[in-house]
Amino acid sequence: MSIKKLNKDVFKSFVDSMIASDQSVVGVKEKVQAKGNKFAFGPLENADQLRLDYDVTLIPPKKYMLPQTETLLTYEVKGESKQHVDEQKLILVGVHPYDMIAINQMDELFSQDEYDTHYMTRRNNITVIACDVVNASENIFASSMETAVVEKGFDILLTDLGKGKEYVAEAITEKGEALLATAVDATDADDKDIAKRSAIQEANKKDLDKHTLNCKPSELSSLLEQAYEHPVWEEKAKTCFSCGSCNTTCPTCYCFDVQDLVNWNLKDGQRERSWDGCLLKDFANVAGDHNFRKQKESRFRHRLYRKGKYVPTKIGGQVACVGCGRCVGACVPDIANPVAVYNRLLEDIKP
Amino acid sequence: MSKPRVAIFDFACCEGCQLQIVNLEEEILDLIGAVDVVEWREAMSEQSEEYDIAIIEGSITRPEDEERIKDIRSKAKVLIAIGACATTGGLNKLKNNFDDLEEVKKCVYSDASTMPHLETAMTKAVDEVVTVDYKVHGCPIEKAEFGSIIRSLLLGKAPEIPDYPVCVECKKNENVCRWEYGEICLGPIIRAGCGAKCPTASYRCFGCRGYVDDPNVNAAVDVMDKYGLTVDQLKSKMVLFGSKQGPTL
Repeated sequence: MSIKKLNKDVFKSFVDSMIASDQSVVGVKEKVQAKGNKFAFGPLENADQLRLDYDVTLIPPKKYMLPQTETLLTYEVKGESKQHVDEQKLILVGVHPYDMIAINQMDELFSQDEYDTHYMTRRNNITVIACDVVNASENIFASSMETAVVEKGFDILLTDLGKGKEYVAEAITEKGEALLATAVDATDADDKDIAKRSAIQEANKKDLDKHTLNCKPSELSSLLEQAYEHPVWEEKAKTCFSCGSCNTTCPTCYCFDVQDLVNWNLKDGQRERSWDGCLLKDFANVAGDHNFRKQKESRFRHRLYRKGKYVPTKIGGQVACVGCGRCVGACVPDIANPVAVYNRLLEDIKP
Repeated sequence: MSKPRVAIFDFACCEGCQLQIVNLEEEILDLIGAVDVVEWREAMSEQSEEYDIAIIEGSITRPEDEERIKDIRSKAKVLIAIGACATTGGLNKLKNNFDDLEEVKKCVYSDASTMPHLETAMTKAVDEVVTVDYKVHGCPIEKAEFGSIIRSLLLGKAPEIPDYPVCVECKKNENVCRWEYGEICLGPIIRAGCGAKCPTASYRCFGCRGYVDDPNVNAAVDVMDKYGLTVDQLKSKMVLFGSKQGPTL
């Protein structure tokens, strides 16, 4: 597969020609409503809107594989049902390594056990153009989580060699190769370019560290093994609003709720699924109005156990916190930072 | 099975929630196809003493209102309160912040304040007088939520009414948190279901849907500290829709 170099103009026309093609193209744009520099993934109308120098997006790109709300099927009461699968093709531009790793984890989770056709069909129709981080966000800790660079999952990886003047683009799939071939004026990247890219990636491995975890991510599981009754859960959860912002902004939270919505004729309707969050009070409410995680502290603990212990057992030990830092910024009472919680445990427990 | 008979009644309010039902537009035909509307002052002239479902808009603000709502309750199998005035007392509870209602009346109505039809008492939400089976929250109510609650009841299933904060919907809409702008947004303690309309339109949450069942007041106090604000400043924002209720007290 090829590694190309695209200067600013070549890159711009590469993106513009994608937009002109029959595929939908979404990328990172500045959030217009916001006063500061806030970013969100959205449909691109032209290459100038694309902001590959972004720090972090408000919510992760998972919304393109697992939308906030989607229709799973339409049904007739006591009758037939019809699966609803979204087959729209999409090019997703500007996914940071930590978000890419989160998507790779979700791909594993949604394809194991009960294969999720809705998620996987969307995923397989997406061409991902990832990009290395240029500007570290306020709360990023990808260095600690070993998620500052990514090696798989994307079709093309872009690395900005300096202020958007030159990009190195590497295709690692057939899809990516075909797409990159449309940048006809791109040149082959030489050893010097590739060395520059390596230097940027090596630096990111160290510098995306606004918070520092005091152990290896692989040690979290054995740390949590001994932490179930630790006072930190109550200490932190005391000021938890149970608002689930740590869930809704998390690239690896994938839990959902399913509701059947009947139409006015009371004869047919839609089955919809929407994002849910384990911090929400009713998340663990089941038939008979029984709630098996009634206390704030048990919900607060559950999230940190999911990230550090439960999900890793499903995906070969990978820790399900990728260090994007979104939850840290989204939590109004400032209790969500996983690093702060794990480090607090490390004061008392040796993993 | 005959269609359930529905009657819609209004008490002290702006009637905006009934207007939301009218605003269902084409869907109204579906609604009246599914139920038999027997009384609805804002939309029809017929009246009826016989109904299965009573939909109540507005709050209880006079002794005679109490008698009227009790009478409605005694006739209805199911009673649904719609809109902030009915579900929490809403804006109408602002007057409960004053001890002397005579003075309030004078201030509002001046010389006319002694007219008999201006008699007033402390505002009550509907469930402070009679049992309420279901609440459709908001100022005004959400049309879609109203429809889905009615359809759930017609199917004999408990409606899904959110008991989580507005932040859930706000984050899904990819808004920048109003707290980051230094605003006292009530989102973290207010019941969702509105789709976070106000923050999405760049306003803080005013709290029209009322508090979630178990709002974390300690957290709110801590957060005020963290942002260098006072509890009084927080309360001043809660008073509009939350006067004399739960944590606003």
